[in-house]
Amino acid sequence: MMGRYIVKRVLLMIPTLIAISVIVFTIIQLPPGNYLESYIAELQAQGESVDPQRIAFLREYYGLDKPLHEQYLRWAGGMLVGDFGYSFEFNMPVSRVVGDRMLLTIIVSFVTIIFTWAIAFPIGIYSATHQYSWGDYGLSFLGFLGIAVPNFMLALVMMYVANVFFGTSIGGLMAPEYIDKPWSWDKVQSVLAHSWIPVVVIGTSGTAGMIRRLRANLLDELQKQYVVTARAKGLPPRKALYKYPLRMALNFFISDIGSLLPSIISGAEITAVVLSLPTTGPMLLNALKSQDMYLAGSFLMFLAVMIVIGVLISDLALVALDPRIRLSGGVAR
Amino acid sequence: MIRSIARLAFVALVALAPAIGRGEEPPSLADDVRDGKLPPLAQRLPREPATQKPLRADWTPGRYGGELRTLLAKDRDIRMFVVYGYSRLVGYDESLQLQPDVLLRVDNVGNRVFTLYLRPGHRWSDGQPFTTADFRYWWDDVAHNKDLSPFGLPQALLVRDKGPKFEVLDETSVRFSWDEPNPQFLAALAGPSPLYLYRPAHYLKQFHARYVGVEKANKIATAAGSRNWAGLHQKKDDQFRFDNPDLPTLEPWINTTAPPSTRFVLVRNPYFHRVDPAGRQLPYIDRVVVNITDDKLIPAKTGAGDVDLQARYLRFDNYTFLKQGEKRNDYKVQLWEKALGSQMALYPNLNVEDPEWRRLMRDVRFRRALSLGINRHEINEVVYFGLGVESSNTVLKRSPLFRPQFRTAWSGFNVRQANVLLDSLGLTRRDKTGVRLLPDGRPMEVIVDTSGESTEETDVLELVRDSWRQLGIAMFARPSQREVFRKRVFSGKSMMSVWAGLNNGIPTPEMSPAELAPTAQEQLQWPMWGQYYEQNRKGGEPPALPEAQELIGLYESWRMATSDAERVQAWVRMLEIHADQVFTIGIVTRALQPVVVRNNLRNVPKDGIYSWDPGAYFGIYRPDTFWFDAGARG
Repeated sequence: MMGRYIVKRVLLMIPTLIAISVIVFTIIQLPPGNYLESYIAELQAQGESVDPQRIAFLREYYGLDKPLHEQYLRWAGGMLVGDFGYSFEFNMPVSRVVGDRMLLTIIVSFVTIIFTWAIAFPIGIYSATHQYSWGDYGLSFLGFLGIAVPNFMLALVMMYVANVFFGTSIGGLMAPEYIDKPWSWDKVQSVLAHSWIPVVVIGTSGTAGMIRRLRANLLDELQKQYVVTARAKGLPPRKALYKYPLRMALNFFISDIGSLLPSIISGAEITAVVLSLPTTGPMLLNALKSQDMYLAGSFLMFLAVMIVIGVLISDLALVALDPRIRLSGGVAR
Repeated sequence: MIRSIARLAFVALVALAPAIGRGEEPPSLADDVRDGKLPPLAQRLPREPATQKPLRADWTPGRYGGELRTLLAKDRDIRMFVVYGYSRLVGYDESLQLQPDVLLRVDNVGNRVFTLYLRPGHRWSDGQPFTTADFRYWWDDVAHNKDLSPFGLPQALLVRDKGPKFEVLDETSVRFSWDEPNPQFLAALAGPSPLYLYRPAHYLKQFHARYVGVEKANKIATAAGSRNWAGLHQKKDDQFRFDNPDLPTLEPWINTTAPPSTRFVLVRNPYFHRVDPAGRQLPYIDRVVVNITDDKLIPAKTGAGDVDLQARYLRFDNYTFLKQGEKRNDYKVQLWEKALGSQMALYPNLNVEDPEWRRLMRDVRFRRALSLGINRHEINEVVYFGLGVESSNTVLKRSPLFRPQFRTAWSGFNVRQANVLLDSLGLTRRDKTGVRLLPDGRPMEVIVDTSGESTEETDVLELVRDSWRQLGIAMFARPSQREVFRKRVFSGKSMMSVWAGLNNGIPTPEMSPAELAPTAQEQLQWPMWGQYYEQNRKGGEPPALPEAQELIGLYESWRMATSDAERVQAWVRMLEIHADQVFTIGIVTRALQPVVVRNNLRNVPKDGIYSWDPGAYFGIYRPDTFWFDAGARG
């Protein structure tokens, strides 16, 4: 039963991804012009001259003179065999451009997620169990602040404060001397020492959101009859909280995994731009801006794959964790 | 007595000589020389190095050492250090005269035959000799290779589609000769993105099919992630992109970081060919560190004192903010003059689709009226703090070709005269709100396309709109996005656009006046006429106005000119036509560029010109002679 379901879902992914790839490609091509044209325009805006010969060479080399569907087939076909195309901006294969940044992005996102959970869980549980207490009000207030303040704004404020009052500049993910060095223990330490600011900045709104959702879901459960009965029967309060209500309230958390996977690799674009983090977010943004289509396209495709896989994982996990959820109606147990 | 004084002086000089430092090793290289990793200075310099004369009254010989920090916005901006380094076969000096730099000298016979003499003993940054073999490699194996240069020789080498004759005379001299004059040749060599006539042959041969065989070359290329050997050669070979740390260079600093990276480190070139007046090898500064940051953050980071020298990505509207941080962060903000003919100019599109508007745009009375209807003084005071100069779009005062009447022609604010001109066009009918009507009854609504990049544009247009209102012309700004903007102008969809004025506002007669004649599509006032010239009459439209045709003729006569007097004549006539015909409507000139300089960084001029070509931004001010006064730090 389960096996067939998984196979069906995986097969369904194929047309989904093909459709996404067509859409991604079309959208990237929608703005007028192409990479070379925006490149020329940018140079001229800076008052620089362009060598028409070189542009002609690039246009041919990159195949930008070919019709659109041919460009698409070349790109999509390449991806099947692991060739993600060529980044015009960096003049090298996409996979090499993304390389090191991917690792750093995963580190930052992973630490951020841990941070979010570590803060959000205890607070969420506390607010739900101590509803309408001063603690609940205070924490909820902070939570709303966290949701309301845009991340990039927080980043800017922190940068300003750090500069004016402490005379340091924040931004970056490691001390400058490590940037072009190979990985070493010292470098890892430096990354850890620098990563708390982006983690806090990126994590705040996520934390706040999670607190609110956990509180709401838990409150729903806590008012149900079985909890009242359990309490009445003298189940210890901790057990009466953790055994069922908390587990029930976690469904939202599991379905979040679907969106978590892509956010691990794309990670908070705007904040990363403001903090000038060497992560993939700013790179994606720039690639879209300069119409570096294979870099942008492959990246978006990668995100799409992550989402599709994430959704599948969270669906399967839900089925496994919550016996109330059935694969489909009409199928008897 | 006199003799003994002379002898004493001589003895003193000899004794002092080491202290003055002729032949002194830069301290950062001394260890390598002692360990035998580097040959001593005398063997690294060309036999006759390029001696940097003191540049300005306040120019001082410097001390070695230090690290210059600056910011750029993208990985590929690292090319700016080829621009700033400005190591060229010939280059402009501060007074914009061409001087040999990498070359020992150039013999020029009537702009037709150029003989280039290299410096004997000159070496690439990896220590290999730089000789005419590198020119030969470029000519035979790059410029004439079908795979590497499928589109033939670079434009600057062609005169009426014909390339030069190339001869290697000996190890240090080459000759290029044309049948007809090629006045753009030396200027192209001196450009910020120069015409490279040479390649580090010893390095590039390993990628070239002719030297390793097509099959092997292609195999190397695929392993390196390129499609074919030509792609890899192109990628490894880009001296201007500066993104290959292995590619030997002649610039003062060598890039050691391959993109992608957020931090680029450049180190001194131990074989650099320039020395200071005391014979000490340049550059003074050992290392340059470039951090890559989003361009919108660069003003903020600069204001926070994160840089030692910064101009790129700073705008005039950052000036007050940058000033604020001066004391706290130990830098000063200088204002350099941009070389633009106009900070902002309106371009009536003479190729606009709409026939009614096209007729008007092509009528000089209409263009003059529009120009007279702009209150430049008000704009200058309101938007530019009165720091600009009210002017039409023409050359700047610094240029020897400047004449006051170019600046003032049709650029005073005179509503009455403008209205008389418009009336004489027969545009006398008006609608209820006082807006004039076109002959076909439509109201006169001028729509100005902007690239939507700065609020400065919208501020200025707002003021123009107010004053045009008094002429009975309604004006609307239509912000879009850069590429859309260009497409609309090129295709004639846009009737008027706004953009910066002449790129080169400080020309000398030797520089090309191509900008003034319809020669390129990106000339927003006549894109199709420009395209016609650019594509050799195959695209676009032939210029329909006699004045535009005359400009083309004058440009051709400048190209063929053999004397300075003829060139001046062509230039001045072209500027005259522009002033009189108001093909573009300049507003305010003397645009200013903030330049942030660390307080103890010496030899950066207080007021320079900030210009791409000529100028290479910092290039003509020789950043290799900038130095840190360590004692003055803090």
